[in-house]
Amino acid sequence: MSTSHSRSSAQKTGSIVRKTWVPIVALGLAFTVTACSPVQTVDDSPQGEDVTSAPIGDQTIVEGGDLVMALSAEPDRLDPTTSSSLYTRYVMQTMCEKLYDIDASGEIVPMLATELPDVSADGLTVTIPVKEDVVFADGTELDAAAVAGTIERGLTLEGSSRKSELGPITAVTAVDSSTVEITYSEPFAPLTAALADRAGMVLSPAALAEKGDAFGDSPVCVGAFKFVERVPQTSITVERDPLYYDAENVHLDTITYRIITDSNIRSANLKSGDVQVADTISTQDVGSLAETDGIGVLQVGSLGYQGLTLNLGNVNGVGTPAEPLGTPLASEATIREALSMSVDREALVSSVFSNWYSPACSPISPSSPFSSAASEACAEYDPAAAKEMLEAAGVTVPFPITMQVSNNPDTLRFAQALQAAVAEGGFELTIAPVEYSTLLDVQTRGDFEALQLGWSGRVDPHGNMFNFLSTGGGNNYSGYNNTEVDDLMTEAASVNDVDERADLYGQAIEIVQEDNPVIYLYRVRSLTAYSTGIAGVETFADGVVHLSHAAFVEAE
Amino acid sequence: MTRYLLTRLWQSAITLILASLVVFIGVRQLPGDPALAMAGEEASPERLAEIRTQLGLDDSLLTQYVNFIGNMLRGDFGFSTRTGTPVTDLIATTLPVTLWLSAYALVVAIVIGIVLGVVAERFRGKWPEWFANGFALIGLSVPNFWLGILAILYLAVTLGWFPASGYVPMAEDPLGAIYHLTLPALILGTGLAAVIMRQTRASMIETMKMDYVRTARAKGLGRGRVLASYGLRNSLIVVVTIVGLQLGGLISGAVVTERIFALPGFGKLTLDAVFTRDYPVIQAVVLIITVGYIIINLAVDILYSVINPKIRVGGSN
Repeated sequence: MSTSHSRSSAQKTGSIVRKTWVPIVALGLAFTVTACSPVQTVDDSPQGEDVTSAPIGDQTIVEGGDLVMALSAEPDRLDPTTSSSLYTRYVMQTMCEKLYDIDASGEIVPMLATELPDVSADGLTVTIPVKEDVVFADGTELDAAAVAGTIERGLTLEGSSRKSELGPITAVTAVDSSTVEITYSEPFAPLTAALADRAGMVLSPAALAEKGDAFGDSPVCVGAFKFVERVPQTSITVERDPLYYDAENVHLDTITYRIITDSNIRSANLKSGDVQVADTISTQDVGSLAETDGIGVLQVGSLGYQGLTLNLGNVNGVGTPAEPLGTPLASEATIREALSMSVDREALVSSVFSNWYSPACSPISPSSPFSSAASEACAEYDPAAAKEMLEAAGVTVPFPITMQVSNNPDTLRFAQALQAAVAEGGFELTIAPVEYSTLLDVQTRGDFEALQLGWSGRVDPHGNMFNFLSTGGGNNYSGYNNTEVDDLMTEAASVNDVDERADLYGQAIEIVQEDNPVIYLYRVRSLTAYSTGIAGVETFADGVVHLSHAAFVEAE
Repeated sequence: MTRYLLTRLWQSAITLILASLVVFIGVRQLPGDPALAMAGEEASPERLAEIRTQLGLDDSLLTQYVNFIGNMLRGDFGFSTRTGTPVTDLIATTLPVTLWLSAYALVVAIVIGIVLGVVAERFRGKWPEWFANGFALIGLSVPNFWLGILAILYLAVTLGWFPASGYVPMAEDPLGAIYHLTLPALILGTGLAAVIMRQTRASMIETMKMDYVRTARAKGLGRGRVLASYGLRNSLIVVVTIVGLQLGGLISGAVVTERIFALPGFGKLTLDAVFTRDYPVIQAVVLIITVGYIIINLAVDILYSVINPKIRVGGSN
């Protein structure tokens, strides 16, 4: 009894103490935490000026050192032939040089080739001159036969992701030790761009013979660095390759790619000095990072896009013939045009992404050499006119649309802003968030009315358009079907003149913008943050972070 | 006893078969196509068809299940569809990380919880008790992921006391491993520390009012000695029980902590496998956890039967 009494009095005392102090402590803590959080203002954003490199310039290089880069996603198998992960390119960039690369202006330049390809008058024979006196990391000599073997592997290996990128090749021949000849059944202009990506990474024939399908477990190529180890889910480490032909311009001892999927944590690791480079910085963090002493930010417009795919005829899944869906949204181009006119892209990008991203109206990036006035044209933002168009079409206003989106915070914030924006134009957008893998499934099966997803982008516009917009295309999720667009894109892929191709793609985009199977919304910018204790980091329009010639530099 | 053991083993085998069936079907009921997850944005119908053939997804469910069981029995868990790494290697590298992290967090939780619990009892109504109560409130109510981010910002970024990420295997560099695991263990152990603190405090308050404590004090034993030898020692029984009950929560809480600190643990492996629909990894991981539970339950049942023969009789009936 006495124990019980004492306990109750003790509890009472404790209770009073808690009532008085706990809220005060909690409130104080909350204020402290909030006050210390960095706040980003919209005005601080640099309105899209590309910064593609942190040059070494006249800074003093500290030779050696181990650089750690925070990578936002885990690469898949490190085999350029089968890889389908964009993040694999980040790691391979330092280990596997390509026949061609892109430069800061987005132009294709030779890398392991000595010149751009020579294409015959009929467009059916492509000749590529290959660098001499270059060896792979295992000491095997790089020659035309090795290049031909790599391309052959891309065409024939089961599970290759490169087949469609290489086009209708009929033969690949090593004419002599430094010349490769590729023969086509019909002209295929996008080859050079494909060879500036994984299809152009030349693999050591000796390593291929030894490892076969297991090549990706320890890849051997020509590169500033060579593979050391991969700890699944954790890291991939590469070390300086003394056999590299340009070894004197390689300064680091090792590079470790540490996989850190959360953007906030990547930023925190950069600030704490645990990593020196971090990719895909969130637009929420980049403002405060850019203002932090000792941290710099590289940014470059992506070649890809984010868009709203509208289901026009994808009834039985991609790969099956399109069938009329029968809904007003699918059958009435006017409604889709009204929807596009209801989207204030500038305001959305400004409010949701603090202007770090750019509005987009077409699948061709303005930074691409294939961009034209036609491809950059945009639907006029006019919600009043959009509403009138809906009323004229005789449909219910507000017109209901269900949009499926990935359930990540950035996408949801954008979806909510879009929902509010199009309401003014007479649309009632319902957001249906689903997990990313499910969204891919829904998209392929055609089980959606509208769906918000993006495309990371390719150097050649063929890779950003053909499969998505051609009848029966492998990524034609909308079920779009327009023979005129098909013909224009096919013709564009068969000519080699850049201006002529740009014009043809521009014409195709004009038609696409009338039909609106995809309403293009915005283009992300690749935001890469780095410690100013290093220099020589570069990132170009393909988004890949180049570290081959990076170096630690002495503090100024 | 032998009969009882055989019965329990037989029951465990049935449970395992049923569990494998549930895992197999459950994984295939997840929305989302593993071939699509593997092909990523470069999926084309032809590529998807190839991947499905490679993964054996074109086979009938029965064939897939028989292959799955056959491979499992041979100790072949297959390869990760995402990275091509053998699943056994993945498990062998990730499981120790989670076990070390959980063990470290347990030590942290016990030390912090008991010290704060004793302090709270010793200084009742004074600021140390308010501090301990405040800690318990935060530990119980603030989620791990938020606490983890704050810890990284202040302890790693601002003060630079701990690394914000990274892991060194214990076998390679024990000190380095402890250094890298300290912050994650502190965060993971906070919740359990709060529970232990509350239990220790409550139990100590009860114990210190017991007659034998008064007698000890009356015989002239110092307050500190009484607190340690009588109060704490008798309160620990409750604490040990609570720790046992909370252990499962600690290991499942490691999933979040591993993700925040980019630790290559078992929890992160499971989560990543689910997101990428990596069937072989999900199946193996879930099955291993199931086997673990079955073995622990079996061991506990057998121990009970050793301690109390009545259970043995009941079991055989």
